Amino acid sequence: MTHVRIKMLIAGLVLIASVSYLAVAGVKSGWVYYLHVDDFVQDSTYQDRRVRLFGLVDTENVEVAPAMLTAKFDLQGESNSIPIHYQGVVPDTFKPGGEVMVEGKLDDAGIFQADTLMTKCASKYQSEEHAKRLEEAQ
Amino acid sequence: MNGLIGNLSLAVAVLTAAGALFTAVAAAKFQDDRMLRWSRRLLYLMGLAITVGSAALMSAMVNSDFHNAYVASYTERALPMGYKIAAFWAGQEGSLMLWTLLLVGMTAIAAHGFRNRERIEQSAMLGVLALVCGFFSALMLFAANPFVQLPAQAVDGHGLNPLLQDPYMIAHPPLLFVGYAGYTIPWAMLLAALIAGRKDNQWIGATRKWLMVSWLFLTVGIILGAKWAYIELGWGGYWAWDPVENASLLPWLTGTALLHSVMVQQHRGMFKIWNASLIAVTFLLCIFGTYLTRSGVVQSVHSFGESVIGTFFLVFLAVCVLLSIVVVVIRRQLLKSEDTVQGMMTREGAFMVLNVLLVLMTLATLVGTIFPLISGAVMPQPVTVGAAFYNKVVIPLSLVLLAVMSVGPLLSYGKGAGQQLIKSLIVPGIAAAISVVVALALGMTDLWALACTVITVVAVCSVGVGLTRSVRQRRKIEDEGPLTATLRVIDANHRRYGGQFVHMGVVMLMVGVAGSSLFGVKQTFQLAPGESAGFNDEYTITFGGLNQTRQSNYTSVEAHVTLTTLGETGDTGGTGGAGQTLHPEMRFYDKSEQPSAQVALNSSLSRDAYVTLAGWEDDGQLVALQVIVNPLIAWIWIGGIVMTLGAIFSLLPRLVKATARAGCPATAAKDQPHAHAPATVSLGLAGEGRCESQIQTTTTTQYAEAPK
Repeated sequence: MTHVRIKMLIAGLVLIASVSYLAVAGVKSGWVYYLHVDDFVQDSTYQDRRVRLFGLVDTENVEVAPAMLTAKFDLQGESNSIPIHYQGVVPDTFKPGGEVMVEGKLDDAGIFQADTLMTKCASKYQSEEHAKRLEEAQ
Repeated sequence: MNGLIGNLSLAVAVLTAAGALFTAVAAAKFQDDRMLRWSRRLLYLMGLAITVGSAALMSAMVNSDFHNAYVASYTERALPMGYKIAAFWAGQEGSLMLWTLLLVGMTAIAAHGFRNRERIEQSAMLGVLALVCGFFSALMLFAANPFVQLPAQAVDGHGLNPLLQDPYMIAHPPLLFVGYAGYTIPWAMLLAALIAGRKDNQWIGATRKWLMVSWLFLTVGIILGAKWAYIELGWGGYWAWDPVENASLLPWLTGTALLHSVMVQQHRGMFKIWNASLIAVTFLLCIFGTYLTRSGVVQSVHSFGESVIGTFFLVFLAVCVLLSIVVVVIRRQLLKSEDTVQGMMTREGAFMVLNVLLVLMTLATLVGTIFPLISGAVMPQPVTVGAAFYNKVVIPLSLVLLAVMSVGPLLSYGKGAGQQLIKSLIVPGIAAAISVVVALALGMTDLWALACTVITVVAVCSVGVGLTRSVRQRRKIEDEGPLTATLRVIDANHRRYGGQFVHMGVVMLMVGVAGSSLFGVKQTFQLAPGESAGFNDEYTITFGGLNQTRQSNYTSVEAHVTLTTLGETGDTGGTGGAGQTLHPEMRFYDKSEQPSAQVALNSSLSRDAYVTLAGWEDDGQLVALQVIVNPLIAWIWIGGIVMTLGAIFSLLPRLVKATARAGCPATAAKDQPHAHAPATVSLGLAGEGRCESQIQTTTTTQYAEAPK
């Protein structure tokens, strides 16, 4: 019986060690800071690495060329904004004034080169429209 | 009118749930069976109230009653009828209503099924169910009411989100909710059994049906969701490790672990505390996942606790966690194991390993999902871990899990199973070795792909070896042809072979996932009308032009794309071959500001070609097309169907009644060489269920599926 116990203990330890290793490696490779555009502009520590930024699409200077698979716009925070060059399929839900999330890195020219663009909604289950209506009903 | 009926029925539901809880407690305290009957009746009444409320909401949806704010926000007059019905669960309030409706339905079934149980167990069960149903009813009445009335009727509704206007919207959410709601019942049964102080293992057998049905619906729901994402979202994938997806995966992982470990408790009286914890965790994960995705905590890190409904869920979650812990700790004496694991190479050992692996996968997924919250609490800026994290952690764990699964049919309970396994592995081992050599010769050098090949071959061969062995045993005592004997063997043990059928589905799913993620290719093209381009040395893509059509509530711009496989037409460029014409679309819904892309698919067993219209310029003089080739992806959906069928098969009663005891293969096992080691119950010979009980040596074990 103890023999089996020892074997199981060793197997358990090996499993825990390998999973911890996997977890650390996984976190390392998946590690992306998630910042608001204001925090990113103000704090230079994040400017030389790959980050995920969120903010609003400025209503002016939005250039979308779906056939060229590019979108150029300014990502706006409360006090700062940053120019974004995005390369890829522009999501259907992308619109000026909307809340978006981009992932990429700042280049030397001060332009944020993004390869991921996601439109963000507060909750999948609650449409803004419905929230407005509910207020109206109060 | 609908609003009044709705609000009234919600109020009745809350009151009856409170009444049912109160009478259930009173029944236990005063040992009064009349109270018990009242508690049950009140629960039925609550079910009726929620049904009436749901009917009122459905009637408002179908009849476009725009007095109702929910109806006005999620439907419009021009919406096709099917989507008017599906819009019932398109928003927060309606989806909670559906969940509650399913929950009260299952509550009624469970309460009815429990009517002859001991008073204390019954009252605990009714009380717990009343608590959960009461929570959901109160949540709707006070925080997410689907019957809020507008001051004046809206002229037309806002319409359903274009992403949700898809046939999958009709089936996917309700199926998931059946799964979520279903896991409430085993939790209530667990608490009831513990509170009543039940020492036997029969109650766990009774939870198994609920666990199986919930798992089945959750599985179908998740796979349909993946398929929906695949055809609707246009990025060529089906699983993004998005928090909402993870929220459905978490209870699925623990639910899968439960289906296996519950069997060990039934047969050997082991893993009791583990099962109890896992049942509780599975239910709690359903609630936690809902909290995560409904409150907005994960997607927008800054709004923690902002939403009212989030607070409700958090408080309810805390109550449930506390209740589970208190009951399990107080009754821990009942959860002592009656036996010990006899080694890693036994059936119970394998089940233990797979449980540990599944729980680790659950933990990894959970940590990844809430990583922004954890890191936000300890660091100045929150950190997210993307798909890379899950792929690094969950994928290797699942491959180990699948490897264990692949030898599953060859494992038996107790001592001596190890030697048996090694002997049985000869055929699958040789087949796996041959397949690796063939794969290498064909130029497949990817380690992940080779691992998947080995798992596939071993899994298929093991099922074959296990089945052949049982059939051979049966034919020694029965005068039957090979086909009849095979069918009889399978029919005699639905649970075992249903499970193996599910495993085959899982293998197919793995093949699909591996094929599409390891060998998928993606490219974007900019083409003018009439222009062609080659893709991946396999296809030629020709853009024919754009045209516009009008549908009931949207305008569609459609591209004509011809896809020719080079192999079919020789290597001349594919101009003369009969290509497949695909029509990726961009839809402009009247009630939506954004266009919505519709993917065009050319699907076969070996690969999918997936074309999206990304955009165009100058009235279609230049279009951007995104083309993705996903090898073997169809096997994900086929695997899903096989898993579903296997699960249904395992739930079906035996088709042909056993004619005599002699026909029972387990009886024959007594005369076989294994008989000298009484602790060994070779599952290749004996099934679970009635036959095995004859040679079962653990006297304390009781059976849920007792002979009639």
